[in-house]
Amino acid sequence: MAAPSKKVFEVFVSKIPWTVASKEVREYFGQFGHVKKCLLPFDKETGFHRGFCWIGFSSEEGLQNALQKDPHLIEGTKLQVQRNRKPFMGRRANKEAEES
Amino acid sequence: MAALLRSARLLKISPCALLPVKGTHKHVATVSGYCSRAVCRRAAGLSGSVNSPFSYSSAWPCSALRYYGTAPEQKGVVKDEPSLGVRTKQAQQFDWALAKLDSSVRRTGRVTKTLLQRIFHDICRTGYPSGNQALLLLRSCGSLLPELPFAERTELAHRVWEKLQELGATYDVSHYNALLKVYLQNEFKFSPTDFLAKMEAANVQPNRVTYQRLIAAYCQDGDIEGASKILAFMKSKDLPITEAVFNSLVTGHSRAGDMESAANILSVMSGAGIEPGPDTYLALLCAYAEKGDLAKIKETLDAVENKDISLMDRDLMQIMFSLTKAGHQQHVPEIVERMRHERGYVPDAMNLCLSLITQGFEDTAFAVLKTFPSLQAESQNGDNPDLGNFFLRHCVNMDKSPEKLVHFCKDLKDSNLHSSPLQFTLYCALDSKKTAMAVGLMKTMKEEGLPIRPHYFWPLLTQHQKDKNAPGTLEVLKAMQELDVLPDVDTYSNYVLPTFPSVDTARAALKGAGCSVDTTGFVSAEVRNEAARGNLSGLLSLMSSSSFPNIDIGAFRASLIAGFKGSNDVESMTKITELLYNDSRFSQAGTDSADNVAYFLYNLFDGMTETDVQAKEEKLRQYLNQLGQKNITIPVNIYRGIRNILDSYHVPELIKDVLALVDDKESIRASDAPTPRGFEDRVLSLEKKLEELKSQGKPTGAIFKQLISALCAEENLSRALEVKAQHEEEMTPSCYALLINLCCRHDNPEEALNLKRELARKDSEVALDANKYMSLVKVLSKHGKLEEAVDILKEMKEKDVPVKDTTVTLLFHTLNSAALKGDSTTIRRLQDTIFTLGLVSPSSNLCSPLVTAYLESGDLTGALEATMESHKLYKQLPRIHDIISGLVEKGDTELLQKAMDFVSQERGEMTMLYDLFFAFMQTGRYREARKIIETPGLRARPGRLQWFAEKCITGQQMEALENMVDMTSKLFECDRDEMYHYLLRLCKDTNDWRKAEAVWTKMQEENVIPRERTLRLLADILKSNNQEVPFEVPEVWYEQHEAKDSSEVARGESASRVSPPKEASAAEYHLRVMTLSKKGKVQEAFNILKEADRKGMALGPASYDALIKALLASGNLEDALAVKNIASKHVSGFQLSDLASNLHIITQVKHGNLKDALVSLKGMLQADQVPSQLAITRLVQGLGSRGDVQGIQEVENLVKTLGPSINLSSMLFVNNTALAHIKNGDIQSAVEGLESVYTQGSDSPQKNISFVFRKVLEANNEGALDKLSAMAERLCNHFASYRAATDLFLQYLDTGRTEEAKFLLQRCAAVVEQKDAMMSYMTKISQKSGQVAKIKTLIELIPEFAEKETVCAYLMKCYALDKDLSSAKALYEQMQAERLQVDELSLKRLASLYKDAGETVPFEEPPETFRFYAQKLKESKTPSTADN
Repeated sequence: MAAPSKKVFEVFVSKIPWTVASKEVREYFGQFGHVKKCLLPFDKETGFHRGFCWIGFSSEEGLQNALQKDPHLIEGTKLQVQRNRKPFMGRRANKEAEES
Repeated sequence: MAALLRSARLLKISPCALLPVKGTHKHVATVSGYCSRAVCRRAAGLSGSVNSPFSYSSAWPCSALRYYGTAPEQKGVVKDEPSLGVRTKQAQQFDWALAKLDSSVRRTGRVTKTLLQRIFHDICRTGYPSGNQALLLLRSCGSLLPELPFAERTELAHRVWEKLQELGATYDVSHYNALLKVYLQNEFKFSPTDFLAKMEAANVQPNRVTYQRLIAAYCQDGDIEGASKILAFMKSKDLPITEAVFNSLVTGHSRAGDMESAANILSVMSGAGIEPGPDTYLALLCAYAEKGDLAKIKETLDAVENKDISLMDRDLMQIMFSLTKAGHQQHVPEIVERMRHERGYVPDAMNLCLSLITQGFEDTAFAVLKTFPSLQAESQNGDNPDLGNFFLRHCVNMDKSPEKLVHFCKDLKDSNLHSSPLQFTLYCALDSKKTAMAVGLMKTMKEEGLPIRPHYFWPLLTQHQKDKNAPGTLEVLKAMQELDVLPDVDTYSNYVLPTFPSVDTARAALKGAGCSVDTTGFVSAEVRNEAARGNLSGLLSLMSSSSFPNIDIGAFRASLIAGFKGSNDVESMTKITELLYNDSRFSQAGTDSADNVAYFLYNLFDGMTETDVQAKEEKLRQYLNQLGQKNITIPVNIYRGIRNILDSYHVPELIKDVLALVDDKESIRASDAPTPRGFEDRVLSLEKKLEELKSQGKPTGAIFKQLISALCAEENLSRALEVKAQHEEEMTPSCYALLINLCCRHDNPEEALNLKRELARKDSEVALDANKYMSLVKVLSKHGKLEEAVDILKEMKEKDVPVKDTTVTLLFHTLNSAALKGDSTTIRRLQDTIFTLGLVSPSSNLCSPLVTAYLESGDLTGALEATMESHKLYKQLPRIHDIISGLVEKGDTELLQKAMDFVSQERGEMTMLYDLFFAFMQTGRYREARKIIETPGLRARPGRLQWFAEKCITGQQMEALENMVDMTSKLFECDRDEMYHYLLRLCKDTNDWRKAEAVWTKMQEENVIPRERTLRLLADILKSNNQEVPFEVPEVWYEQHEAKDSSEVARGESASRVSPPKEASAAEYHLRVMTLSKKGKVQEAFNILKEADRKGMALGPASYDALIKALLASGNLEDALAVKNIASKHVSGFQLSDLASNLHIITQVKHGNLKDALVSLKGMLQADQVPSQLAITRLVQGLGSRGDVQGIQEVENLVKTLGPSINLSSMLFVNNTALAHIKNGDIQSAVEGLESVYTQGSDSPQKNISFVFRKVLEANNEGALDKLSAMAERLCNHFASYRAATDLFLQYLDTGRTEEAKFLLQRCAAVVEQKDAMMSYMTKISQKSGQVAKIKTLIELIPEFAEKETVCAYLMKCYALDKDLSSAKALYEQMQAERLQVDELSLKRLASLYKDAGETVPFEEPPETFRFYAQKLKESKTPSTADN
């Protein structure tokens, strides 16, 4: 599969509390390095998000910083963060809604 | 678990105190002070017991497998069996409803209204509900619904009662009794006389339980006179007056205002020879509670404590409830203090809280909440405490005021019980779309300094958006403004704008409502909207406007791509791109706008499908060329990405146009050629088969060996030894092995040892197989050659001989035969050697012979020492049940205490208690057993209970079994139906119908819902004793298949025979038609029905329905319609069941008439009919193969309203939507759809996507397959979701793509672990012929997925299906050679193969039927977990 650059520095985050949205998640992970993308899918039926998201850093460094930190706490809630080894394909069509 | 341990600790039991040997009453009392007695009658209105009344435990794991195995009807494309789904529907539905309700009750002790109503609705829609469905529903309308007010519950019960009766449910006494129970639980006022009259009118005989409950009803009203009348009547009928009656009288007198008489009942009871039980005291306590008499309550509680009785937490909660309801909540804390926090405390207390909240006593509920063990506060998901979520949610549902909610939240937060109660409460309010409440909560949160974010309002907006409710939307927006929350672009574009017909009306409406529209959020949403609509020129002017704010392209990239895709306006496309390229307003700070554009281009191509790009090739070329003219460049890595996409879309011509844009052309290298993938099949050559014997000529090695083995088979040892002596030079290791084994069998240790030594001299390296070694060990130890035996074991270890299960069995027999001789020295020596060498790991079974050795000689002390020794050395407690039983029998309290202490310390108190329980049961000490089993905190261990029940059934010990069933009535999580089923099985064995009938009454008293098999068993017992069956017997559809074959033959004669006599009544006709229809004798049934019609007789709707079903099942639509016409003549409003319509749909799909089929489906739904699973499946599959995504969605939406009752797999839509996408060439969407199934929620066996893989493989669609397999891999490696990869693996296997399967295994190693899936795959394919190769491949790829014997059994099954005798023989030989155990079913199969081929069966054929052995095998596979 083609990707603009082969290296992808992504983490997969789960157990995200309902009170935070992309903005907060992006801000939080911004402390580890520049966040290139942040996909936090919302369920259009309920209006709540699904509790997990993908964070893409622009550099290996950002990724490493994020992975080394433990625990990740956002507004007092512990997040689960793991490395996403391969680019996540298959959400392009409605990227906009989530990635902003 | 922790809660369990804590409560179990309460019981510092001293077993000697329980023994009647020292049986002074004092001792017993001290122990029972800790033990608790069962509670039989629960007063109205409070928590349902956590004991599951429907429980269905054992079926769980296998049902999951079953789902996997049968992947609902999706497999064969045309498998024309509409009747099958129909037939099983009702039974399935009951199972489903039961399982659903049961799991709810099991987990929480309650049922939610939504769940119950859904099940009710579904049962109604399918029509003709069965008796136990009705019972199930009625039973659930009482205290199992703590979230509903009393009146609403009773109303629901009445709705259920009437509706089901209308639909033809037959009510028997169990239903009336259940209704009474619900009345009592809901404190419903009704007239008992009217009730009895109603029963009489319905010709239903009241029984003891009915009278008991009517007395309770009078008493609830304080009507002693009424109660006495019924009591007198019971006496006149000689019905036993039980404790329950007296308990009601306590309540009755108290409610009549006569506390003195109420208290006096206790001495009346004693006078009548019935000891007041805990329920009696509870009734008295509640009476005092209603009076608010705390002093008396305390006095009584203390008195109870001094008796042989103890009250449970649940009882104390009842007192609290009574206090609160009578307005004496100030006394509640006094009772709270006495709580012991037993196991089950939390669910019970939760239900108490819910009831209190429902009744409007949320403050008391809150006080109870705060008594929850603090451990509960440590939440399940993380370290943050979140106690009281259920409390807050129910308060929200009950619309408590925001002030009250805030008050509770603050308290929870301040006492550190919940980390974010306000957020959670807000979540609940949002989830239930309570705008005013949510806004109120948010105001408080804002005051508290908590952030309020735009997306908090989305759940509120979604509803309005769905309803296109503009005022509602504006109201939410105003609330946002009030709270100073600025809606962002997502809020506008996803949740606000879609509510309005256009952006302009939205803008006007917002302005009118005083909401600002000049925000970045709104403008961005507008951009998105324009872009998505494809209005590029409008978009361009919007974006070029100088007043346009800074908006990152990320905010509208996807919409822009969508717009570009749909537009032919190359001019505007270019200009917009140029704008993006040059205008820094569109790039985030820190990023380069040129990069953004390059990335956008990549996304543009990536976001288009192959067809899109091909169709728009020319436009795209123009667009790219114009970009070049505008000096827009892209970096080389982006170029590569785009090139790859275009390559894969087969439009390489465009590549050069993209290349023209690259800024630095130097850096382009030639791309690597794609690596070819090897497809050579590894050819496996297998040679087997020996030539025939019989040549007495030249003694070549092969022939010699055959001779030896033939002699061994004939057990001719002396001749074999002679032959050996003659041809010493031909002796090979395998010949030695055969001979050694033969010697062992002939109990000849000397010769065996000689041969063994001879072999070792010839070749010291050679090793025998494990079983031959074991035979040697056995014979040697038997003959006292202990050291030699030990040497053999050592050799096994040295030579690393693999040990199999059968070896272990042999080992056990070796040890056990020593045990029977009482030879503990030999056992110890062998055990020590085996376990020290690590040949076999110690098991309870292997350790038991040592204990047996002592037990045989009656030496209990030695036995106990031995088992303790085993535990010390090997962590096993062999035969502890026998030892404990022995000690109880002997009354050796000192030793018993020692044993119990030991078990308790090593295995936990639970195990110890069960051991003691069974020992008491075994020895008939029921009183003591009861105390044990009623220990607070003890929970059901179905395996152990089953073990004892089976023991009783085999030994026909009715007394013991009855006692166990009775004693376990309040045991936590005890499957009551299962227990009664054991009892009925024994009744059946002893043919005791009176006992069986009493069991049925007992079940009603206990409010147990029998499963169908229980009812059938009961009916069976009654019928075979010529007794009337007082209830409707569930139908058995599966008998139909068997009956069918014979009916073909017997048609001629039976037609005349079954015709009822001339004077037959309508009822007889009804029965006839029912029976014949169900047995598949359709034509006969039809004839009889016509005959009845000619006579002008009206039969019941059920018989018409049954016949229609049967006719349709045989494809006879015409006659079915004729029956329908007859039916509507006789039964007003008779509605043809949904089947005809279903059949219609299926036919339409078959003819490719999908549009019409969809119309028919809609018609059905409009008529409030339920389409069958099959009809929907066919339709959706048809749509999928046409690529009609929309059609599938439409069906999905239509079907959604039906609820889950039709048992449709959600995967049906997912899979076929994916296939439709693939059919349209849109693989990306297919992957997205499938992937989200796994990324959302857990792996469940239902999430089967084999169907997609199979279709793609069948179509040889490599492109789709690549992406799907990439997806499967991704799910496997990132989401730990192995289902997709496993499905793909099995499909590769199934379609013979072994290489691919192997590659997949390398990439997704976890697939190897999915043994259940492999097993069910094997089970499934072995039902068809010609599947041997697949199983073999599977073993080859994943050798360890199942035990060898299991695999062999399946292989044998396949050979039998394939009629492949020679392979079957070879398999049998191989199994024998490997000493694998060949089960009787396999032997039976092999034998019939021999017979079919006209050969004689060379072994003794198992005498029973296939069915018998299949059943036997099944039973042996359900392990009894009794660790004895």
